[in-house]
Amino acid sequence: MSEPAPHLVISAVSKRFGAATVLDRVDLTIRRGELVTLLGPSGCGKTTLLRAIAGLSPPDTGTIALAGRDVTHVPPHRRNVGVVFQSYALFPHLTVAGNVAFGLKVRGAPKAEIDRAVQRALALVKLGHLGGRRISALSGGQQQRVALARAIAVEPDVLLFDEALSALDRKLREEMQIELRRLLQDVKATAIFVTHDQDEALTMSDRVAVMNKGRIEQLAAPRELYARPASLFALNFVGLSTRIAGQVVGGQDGMVDVVTPVGRLSARGAFQLGASVIVATRPEQLRLGADHEANSASGRVRSVVFQGSRTLVDVDAGAGASLLAELSGREAEVPRVHDEVRFAWPAAETFAFAAEASP
Amino acid sequence: MMTRHAIIFCWVLAIGLALFLLLPLVVIAAASFSPTPVFDLPLSGASLRWYGRIGRLDGFWPSLSLSLQIAVLSTALSLVAGTLAAIAIARGRLPGATALGTLLVSPLMMPGLVLGIALLQYFRMIGLTATWSALLVAHLVVTLPYVARTMIAGLSRFDFTLIEAARTLGCTYAGSVIRVMVPALAPSFLISGLFSLLASFDNYPVSIFLTDVRSKTLPIRMLQYIEEAPDPTLAALSTLILAGTLVLLLISDRLVGLHRMAGTAD
Repeated sequence: MSEPAPHLVISAVSKRFGAATVLDRVDLTIRRGELVTLLGPSGCGKTTLLRAIAGLSPPDTGTIALAGRDVTHVPPHRRNVGVVFQSYALFPHLTVAGNVAFGLKVRGAPKAEIDRAVQRALALVKLGHLGGRRISALSGGQQQRVALARAIAVEPDVLLFDEALSALDRKLREEMQIELRRLLQDVKATAIFVTHDQDEALTMSDRVAVMNKGRIEQLAAPRELYARPASLFALNFVGLSTRIAGQVVGGQDGMVDVVTPVGRLSARGAFQLGASVIVATRPEQLRLGADHEANSASGRVRSVVFQGSRTLVDVDAGAGASLLAELSGREAEVPRVHDEVRFAWPAAETFAFAAEASP
Repeated sequence: MMTRHAIIFCWVLAIGLALFLLLPLVVIAAASFSPTPVFDLPLSGASLRWYGRIGRLDGFWPSLSLSLQIAVLSTALSLVAGTLAAIAIARGRLPGATALGTLLVSPLMMPGLVLGIALLQYFRMIGLTATWSALLVAHLVVTLPYVARTMIAGLSRFDFTLIEAARTLGCTYAGSVIRVMVPALAPSFLISGLFSLLASFDNYPVSIFLTDVRSKTLPIRMLQYIEEAPDPTLAALSTLILAGTLVLLLISDRLVGLHRMAGTAD
């Protein structure tokens, strides 16, 4: 299978609001049909980048090309983008069908074609029977679907979601995540989500761009992002981890030896001798018991949290260090609070990050 | 069953209050159809003779014309100025926008008499002696608060993301304002216009200080009639004004819903 051509190309896009740099030379290339999430804390620039793509807030410098056309200074109404807003922004004076038809009417499409497209879009979001309703008569979940149908109906080159699921309650949100992903894949839409919800990012996207202080810290598939975080920020923002500070005392072949309060640990990374680093690993890598081939540390169990399919064990390893272990439900032995335990984890799943780059 | 009794009591009270409020209007309407100059119960028949006399009242037509001119003109000016002011207050980043909004609405809280005397003195001071202009400016002060208040409320409820949504769906900025903002604010516009029209048309306490012998607004002229010759002609006139107001209210109800006027909407 040949690589699809780039569909949306963002090059060196910067944006300042007064003294604050909100976007700092951002590059991002998205292929046709790809679902990409911009993930980050509030103020990281993700919404500004989305608004720049939509044309609602053009960048100061840099270029944006969509479907082979430079749209950097094209106003939003001539971009052919679809946006689903956090507040849904449905037109209260129009019916459900009126909202979905809006974009096509503005484009001057013939009535028969509009009716067909509205029916198709509403059927897609399973609201075919509610076309005549007023917006105020809909639930939050239904309004969300209308907003989606309205954005899809114009067959945009790219669909943009600005925290679009955040107003739904948790259960509905999780259902919508899966349904929305399937729907977007069915219609082969190219979509960009903006969210601060890591679960949403991991569930919905082919690739996730972790953003921090106006830059993309890492752009990777969800699995890779979780297993191989590129920075301490990415590690912290996605998933849980054990983090221990230490000093590099040796290293070769992309691995370093680090002296920490819990003992000598090996980790992936390349640092000079004496560098201060944070050594980290994911909780499911930790196994009860000693293993001389691997990293290990011992301590006293501080808390045990049962979460159904998994159990989280927090261990006080002394000198301010703590270990976080996730034991799957199948493991027979689960330690109790105050137990003395030893955990081991593979060096290949241990990462070292520069300590001063703390978020 | 306490609650049942309480509910019945509340209904009786509500109906009683409604009757208390509406009965004078019913009496006026009934009196206007009385065949005799003195209104008597039971009615001894119905007649339209008093309606025929309205037009022959001394100085009626000039007064009606003056009141309508002032009402329509002050409403139109208030709608333009009030809406623009509301946009600045609700949307612009003006320092002290809230204080400015309160200031605009403040004539509403002032006794009309005080306002009338104050305006009279002020107009004398600045040399504004033409009755018509003085009335118009005074009524502007009376009607502007209605428009400003309603439009500020309407605008602060308006979600400006709607304009962005319309733009991404293919509308120019101006097109978005026309297709989305205007329909969303039309109810506020209509309601404030209606209130402003009525407030100006039946204003008495401010107008009384600014009219002269030759130009009197309708409410002032009506008080003069009732002092001179209290016959049912005035009742007929009141009934017509009432009917006109009802028609306006019904039209507004069809267009935007009366519940919004009562301020009970969302």
